[in-house]
Amino acid sequence: MGYGDVEMIDANGIRNDGRKAGDVRPISIELGVVPVADGSCRMKWGNNDVIAAIYGPMEAHPRKIQRQDRAVLDVRYNMAPFSTSDRIRPGFNRRSREISKVTAEALESVVMLELYPRSKIRVEIEIICAEAGTRCVGLTAASIALADAGIPMTDLVISVASGKINDVVVCDLNKAEDNYGEADLPMGVLPNTGELVFLQMDGNLSPKEFQEAWDYNMDAAMVIHEYCVEALKTGRYPQ
Amino acid sequence: MSIPLVPQLLRSHLKELADNDQRLDGRTQYQGRELELEVNVLANAEGSARVRMGDTIVFAGVKFQTMTPYSDRPNEGGLMCMAEVRPVAGRQHEAGPPSAESIELSRVVDRGIRESGCIDTSDLCIIPGEKAWQVILDLFAVSDDGNLFDAFALAGIAALRNATIPQEKFEVGADRPLVVSKTPIMCSYQRVGGRFIFDASGREELGGDERIHITLGDDDHVHSLQKGLKGAFTAAEFTELMEEARKKGSELRKMVHALDGGN
Repeated sequence: MGYGDVEMIDANGIRNDGRKAGDVRPISIELGVVPVADGSCRMKWGNNDVIAAIYGPMEAHPRKIQRQDRAVLDVRYNMAPFSTSDRIRPGFNRRSREISKVTAEALESVVMLELYPRSKIRVEIEIICAEAGTRCVGLTAASIALADAGIPMTDLVISVASGKINDVVVCDLNKAEDNYGEADLPMGVLPNTGELVFLQMDGNLSPKEFQEAWDYNMDAAMVIHEYCVEALKTGRYPQ
Repeated sequence: MSIPLVPQLLRSHLKELADNDQRLDGRTQYQGRELELEVNVLANAEGSARVRMGDTIVFAGVKFQTMTPYSDRPNEGGLMCMAEVRPVAGRQHEAGPPSAESIELSRVVDRGIRESGCIDTSDLCIIPGEKAWQVILDLFAVSDDGNLFDAFALAGIAALRNATIPQEKFEVGADRPLVVSKTPIMCSYQRVGGRFIFDASGREELGGDERIHITLGDDDHVHSLQKGLKGAFTAAEFTELMEEARKKGSELRKMVHALDGGN
């Protein structure tokens, strides 16, 4: 089956899960879900279910990983074996390694690492149920968990992916749209400044479509930011 | 671990408490922590459960694969049980290949389930000699505050009892529930401050000695035993623990049965 062969949006612009083009899947956030961690967050986003936990700042060892002027972020993104429809063999693979790397680099842009020289902050992202956009949920959940751990940051990172299905640009791809769609544009936005710290893309978008997808991501990030702030104030979203 | 002093202080504190028949969190000797058990909590697993015991939280997920039956058992499928304690579960857990502790953990849980005979492997055959179901039980720790053994075993059996064989997806018929005829229950005891206690917390484990894991079936038959860590125990102590495990096991079994057929 090739791109565009599966009908995922009808004549009235309603997607296969009932959403309109610009709608985001339902989101819920709960803080403190890993009681033994210094900060944690469980984020459900559509059928994605992600747990992020923070340990540290702590002593960085072995010594060679220490930085004299700042803390190092040790980020691990991992999918649980039962998180997808076909079981995943446990252990690191190339995909999770890449996602861990870009997630770490996105978070390094906001965490005030210079406050903790020679130390390490561990960021653990565990996908326990995956639908589509797990890297976006993981990055957003990690930034909330860092805030929950009381680690100084210049901003949260809100990550969301838009893309194209059947030649229509839509926000926040679900599983079928991710599998059979024509493009996927995940972005990590700093809501206070509108800057980007994470950007990937694959597929095929015209300049006009690209701008549309970009705008969807920016608008969605601002809405999701409100949810995150409420969760950080009260421990959960929705109440 | 590079903190030998703290356990020494903790050990003397635990000894004092034990001498007065007390525990760190105010529990009695054989009292478990507050327990939550939920099933069907993960959309992409064919069976799943979440267990919370105090600050220990684990998930169990069941997946199915097809396998070629072993040549000496052409009419049988298989069961595989894997436990992962990833670094998310606590600051003492490090990334890397599975530790000896987590391998012991999955093998002890596996033996309890396997040896109880609760899964009839001949019921897993699709085409004799060619194709059979392999049941894979993955145990995943989210937060480790002690006694992962009991948490994993309880989540594991609850997930299996609520699992569906995805026959439609593999085009071998209609989906059907996995038949699990028994409910093996593990109860773990650790020597802390000189006496055995049930459901040790993380701090009790840190300052404790040997532990004993007992898995009992519905008819109180023993299916698996494991003694772990340094220490020696007497026959009289073991008899008392078996008696306790019988009482506690039937309570927990009722809890699992109350959730049966949730899917």
